[in-house]
Amino acid sequence: MIRIILFVAISFLYAQMSFTGNTETRIGESSSGYYYNETLINTNLQYGAFTNWIQIEYSDPPELGRPINGVRKLRLEYDNGPIQLKLGDLYEIWGRGLVLNSVDDQSIDRDTGIRGLTLLYNNDSFSSQFVAGKADISQSTINALGFNNRRHNYQVSHNLYGLTIQKFIRNHDLGFSFLQGLEKHPVNTFPSDTIEIKNQFHSLNYSYDNPLFDFYSEYIISKSYVFDEDRWKSHSNGRGLYSNLNLYFNLFSLNLEYINYRYSSIDPISRFNIVDYYGNSQPYQNPPVAVYIHENVLMNRISHQTDFNNEVGYKAELIGSFSENIDFLSIYSQSNRTHTWVMDENFMWIKDQKLSSFPNFDPAATPFKEFYSELTVRALQNKLFFKLGYANMKDIIDLLQNTVTDTSQSLTYSLTDAKTIPLTLSYSFSNGWSIESRIELQWLKKGYWWYEEKNNQIIADSLMSIFIDEDGKRINQETNTFISFTLSKSPKWSLTLTSDRTSVKESFIENNSILNPLEKFLGIDQDKNWVNIEFAYHITSSMRFSLLYGSLKGGLLCTNGVCRIIEPFDDGFKVGLSTVF
Amino acid sequence: MKNIIAFTISLLIISFLYADQKRDIMLPDMSIKLLDGKNTRLSNLLEDGPILVEFWATWCAPCKKEMIFLEEFHQKYAETGFRVLAISTDSPKSMSKVKSYIRAKKHTFLVGLDPNQEVAKKMNAMIMPTVLLIDRNRKVSWYHQGFVPGDEKEIEAQILRLLDSYSILESKK
Repeated sequence: MIRIILFVAISFLYAQMSFTGNTETRIGESSSGYYYNETLINTNLQYGAFTNWIQIEYSDPPELGRPINGVRKLRLEYDNGPIQLKLGDLYEIWGRGLVLNSVDDQSIDRDTGIRGLTLLYNNDSFSSQFVAGKADISQSTINALGFNNRRHNYQVSHNLYGLTIQKFIRNHDLGFSFLQGLEKHPVNTFPSDTIEIKNQFHSLNYSYDNPLFDFYSEYIISKSYVFDEDRWKSHSNGRGLYSNLNLYFNLFSLNLEYINYRYSSIDPISRFNIVDYYGNSQPYQNPPVAVYIHENVLMNRISHQTDFNNEVGYKAELIGSFSENIDFLSIYSQSNRTHTWVMDENFMWIKDQKLSSFPNFDPAATPFKEFYSELTVRALQNKLFFKLGYANMKDIIDLLQNTVTDTSQSLTYSLTDAKTIPLTLSYSFSNGWSIESRIELQWLKKGYWWYEEKNNQIIADSLMSIFIDEDGKRINQETNTFISFTLSKSPKWSLTLTSDRTSVKESFIENNSILNPLEKFLGIDQDKNWVNIEFAYHITSSMRFSLLYGSLKGGLLCTNGVCRIIEPFDDGFKVGLSTVF
Repeated sequence: MKNIIAFTISLLIISFLYADQKRDIMLPDMSIKLLDGKNTRLSNLLEDGPILVEFWATWCAPCKKEMIFLEEFHQKYAETGFRVLAISTDSPKSMSKVKSYIRAKKHTFLVGLDPNQEVAKKMNAMIMPTVLLIDRNRKVSWYHQGFVPGDEKEIEAQILRLLDSYSILESKK
């Protein structure tokens, strides 16, 4: 009897339910021993106002991160009119992310999700959201034991709760947010120990919107306390500001962004040390950056890494059209730290001058600047597509020495200086065939700039490059070339041949490519060359298969101002299959 | 290496077998935030006719190429009630650019915002661009991942197939 009731109940429920999902399988193995095997299954089940999302992972090992065999993420949602309730793994964004922006970016294995509950009320004039839960956030850092490129080696646990409210009055939108996180912060002690920290964030945001322009601004105050001797003691205070103004003209739009993050001032060599320096900006915040997100490969490899604790900057972006088929884009961005830094007589870093609220290019404040411009032309009824760009970027990543006396100065900093030209050309034939070629050229200078002045005489002012040639001699500049050629037959398949070449090797880094038969077959110089061929096939409209053979250059992979070093992949296969059901 | 070859062959066999099976994918009536800040429901968007949903981002070059054709289809079949909804998955890092990009390109289709990719997950959009054609009953009639030049012809053919099935074009004539 029970079985019959269950059968009827399940049949009834199934008839009322909608069930969808997708799978993604990726496997790779290279001759250098790099292996991964991972499958992700996402399922969405809906019954009336209830939705259930489950993500299951089978990996041993995954491309990045630790192996998981079972449920990775789970969320139950109730969505009925103005009220929404979510239980489980939450990824929430408040405003522009100055207070809360939890993300799951699997390309760099960054997961700042909260496991807990959230209650949201939303109508046309008012919205509010309460969130409470726990975020176990792991990161890779050289400041903790067991640093590894593929697996995180440091985890911090945060117990969070907070509330955000927004009020909409015609074109105006005003909001307030509060978030508190109780953090268990592991420190480098033996035996291992944790510090209890309380981080509090209060923010105010305002936006205005009309047909000619729109404006958004958010101001945040942070306070942190450390639990010591049975009470909370004040540890640090910080603040942050983000503003955005969009102006709309007939032929173009101007997008202006400004950031001013002052959570803490940490000396130049320790500023990315997340173990010994705490109570500052938190990984669940993820605020906007004043950096343009490039579409090309070579610029992404040298992307500026934002210091979320201490950075002032802006970005101006002009986008528009000369005519119906000619578009242009021009960007200028610049940022630096809030102070310059010098060394005292004991070679300890101390803050020197407080800089203005707008960045300049003082090397002692580890500045960054970039100009990028591109032109896009479409012709022959959109069959021909042509895009040409030019990027000029200079980034002072680290300050190594800055000693100043009345009569002398000795300044050393690490510098990345690059000029990049990306070009894309594609043509679509009327029978579904198309060809596309991407060419990127980059002239890259990387090394240590040494400036020495004594008694008003400049003794040194030059770059010590990290690039060396075949004979071990230092050379000033590296030339990188990325070329890809794609042949495709819409909507079924595409075949892409890619060559990624560098002219010299970086000292201290073994970046020689392993012999790849494809390179040999094509007659390409195998040294410092990464060649691969990828075939993508749509088995059905909801099923895509891809197979890659060859080598991929490793290096820095940056998404949204957060970077991670990815290992090279030499002479191997990568297989991918994604389906929707 | 043997594992990879064995797994690939198995996957291919299963996939080819699966490929012939067609299953209706019904989407939940989810809430979608539009560029003007208002929230709407998928069912409200489908009141006038079927919609084509594209998931895109300001840093996705193929998405932006595809949007040129989607704008054309949005205008061409507007009389039938058909509309295009381009859902941006830009995070707060690039969210401010969405409106200025749409305004500069003079796109007239509907634009949605999905910065934490909740809608994308519910619609099974794993890569960008992903295009879904959704009929008035929230059933996905066609799904496509990625964009290569020439795909616009297949997109238009699928739009026409869906509109034909409704006999919307005939009734308007």
